[in-house]
Amino acid sequence: MASGSLIPTGSLRMAKLEDISNDFLREEVETFVTREDERENLIARYTAATPKMQAIAAGVVSARHHDVDAMTADALTTGTSALDVMDHGLIAGMALVGIKFRDMKIFVPEVLACARAMKAGMKHIEPILVASGIAPTGKVIMGTVKGDLHDIGKNLCIMMLRGAAFQVIDLGVDTSPDDFIEAVEEHGANIVGMSALLTTTMPNMAKTIEAFIDADLRDDVQFMVGGAPVTQIFADEMGADGYGDNAVECVDLAKKLSDENG
Amino acid sequence: MTSRQRVLAALNREPVDRTPVCNPTSVATVELMDLVDAHFPDANRDAEKMARLAATSYTELGFDTIMPVFSIIQESSAVGCKIQWEEKDNWPTVRMTEPIWSEPDDIRIPADFVKHPDAKCVLDAIRILKKEFGDEVAVIGKTMGPWSMGYHCFGVERFLLMSLDDPDMTRTCLDRMKQSTIEYGIAQIEAGADALTLPDHATGDLVSGEYYERYLRDMHIEFAETLKVPIILHICGRTVDRMEFIAQTGMAAFHYDSKNNPAESMEVVAGRISLVGNINNPETLFSKGPEDVAAEVRANLDAGVQLVGPECAIPLQTSIENLKAIPRAVREWHRAA
Ligand code: B12
Ligand SMILES: [Zn+2]
Repeated sequence: MASGSLIPTGSLRMAKLEDISNDFLREEVETFVTREDERENLIARYTAATPKMQAIAAGVVSARHHDVDAMTADALTTGTSALDVMDHGLIAGMALVGIKFRDMKIFVPEVLACARAMKAGMKHIEPILVASGIAPTGKVIMGTVKGDLHDIGKNLCIMMLRGAAFQVIDLGVDTSPDDFIEAVEEHGANIVGMSALLTTTMPNMAKTIEAFIDADLRDDVQFMVGGAPVTQIFADEMGADGYGDNAVECVDLAKKLSDENG
Repeated sequence: MTSRQRVLAALNREPVDRTPVCNPTSVATVELMDLVDAHFPDANRDAEKMARLAATSYTELGFDTIMPVFSIIQESSAVGCKIQWEEKDNWPTVRMTEPIWSEPDDIRIPADFVKHPDAKCVLDAIRILKKEFGDEVAVIGKTMGPWSMGYHCFGVERFLLMSLDDPDMTRTCLDRMKQSTIEYGIAQIEAGADALTLPDHATGDLVSGEYYERYLRDMHIEFAETLKVPIILHICGRTVDRMEFIAQTGMAAFHYDSKNNPAESMEVVAGRISLVGNINNPETLFSKGPEDVAAEVRANLDAGVQLVGPECAIPLQTSIENLKAIPRAVREWHRAA
């Protein structure tokens, strides 16, 4: 995460937990974020955000979609830029949600509710970003591979990717190699994420990569793969460009791959 | 003891001559399909093929149970969900992205849904198996719990969001859907099932342990009381945090996943429910060899797990060799003990 840029220049010391003015956010970080790097990162993000933005982040974390809707609309009409609301409010909130889910502090229903709150804010942001021609962090095609209908994990990854300003084209479940190829050609995306939960369908990841080779498109895209039975070893064997164990890693991976794309 | 006696005793936590081997979900594999010429998708819809493939669990693998229901969608098909029946090398599934219900009043369990071909097929297969193997082997049926039916009929995300937004509506939905669990269960008991698997996927991969207590424990108590054969609850994934509540249901057994440690799980359930499991599917049965399988069998036996077997429906490409290693390891362990 590009936290460095969020620390206000001129700050003489590293921000501390006590510096987060929003009580709810401060307590959440204190209770749920144990990894040192992640704690520092979130503290830097939240202390760099105005109280209004912190309130939006808190609204996402506590899944109050009506409040996030209203607060986002208000922030935009009172002079905060769409990018700021997205970065310092919505995305900052989802970052904490992803960590809580990974560490089993919350479960899928709660993540779905937080994502709904994020979406309530994004619906105000998206048209502004589109109109002003601001490019998303990157474009990602996501799908569960052919023969597999497990999509909960894939959908959580998509929510987190969107929560990190990626534009995601969701191909749903049971996605054939041809569907992936068509989507890449149609949307000009250069990252393809594949999910599989069945050992019977995992080989379809390799088949999809082969189909891209046959279509002379392999060099145009980067593949990231995931899902419970998939491991780094499988990912390497099938020739994928990256493997992610959870939705937080999926976002980090997508960022890394899009940086490599330049 | 016959296999049947052994299984029924273990489900009641009574003494056995050796630990029974059991998969209460599915043992179907592509190799077994070839062996008896009963392939998916037909073996999920044609009673005779279903019975033939299921019997291999006893005749080829040497397990103590026969389970003819390889999928989790027979009754979903009967109540009107769209099914993708797939091919020889994959399981069928419900198209959960095209849900059929969105609120309690939509829920309709057709009066004669057990006569729907995809539901009846299981009843017929149980009758065939009962006739042929009934004295020797335990024939197990499968009836889906309302939580899993909720995923299929409402779509997973909608159903899970409803459970957070509106607990009362969720309870009403579960209460209406449980009719299919009970009716299909009774129909299979009448057809001759010795026990019933009841999958109800309130797993730690998706929801909290507190959820299980809030929404399902009491309903599962009701199932254990209403369905008059031993019930085997199946929830794959992480569940040790809710085994305390599961142990309170009065069900005979809990089929548990390798994400839970055998000894720790036995400690939590403390003799109130038998455990069945928990050999890992993707990493061990599918990807490793007989020795690794045997090691997981021993870990379960050492912990005192009452019935040993795979954690969930085994991957269709699992080798027969690895599956046969399960009963062999059980015999060896007893010999050494
Ligand atoms: C919920 C569930 C279901 C639900 C699925 C609902 C849905 N719409 O998705 C239902 C009940 C319908 C179901 C059906 C079946 N299931 Co199921 N199911 C599960 C269960 C319990 C949890 C899976 C889950 O959603 N986890 C929660 C999510 C959040 O985790 P996740 O998917 O792993 O995703 C995370 C990461 O992996 C990662 N990630 C995921 N995708 C991607 C992609 C990228 C690019 C990246 C970077 C990261 C990433 O990020 C996610 C978020 O942190 C698992 C148990 C287990 N041990 O995993 C079995 C399991 C996956 N199912 C299994 C089986 C056998 C089946 C059935 C065949 C059962 C049957 N007899 O019919 C059918 C499948 C039919 C089909 N053709 O698809 C087996 C698979 C065995 C195997 N590997 O072959 C498992 C492993 C159970 C077991 N222990 O054996 N299932
Ligand atoms: Zn399962």
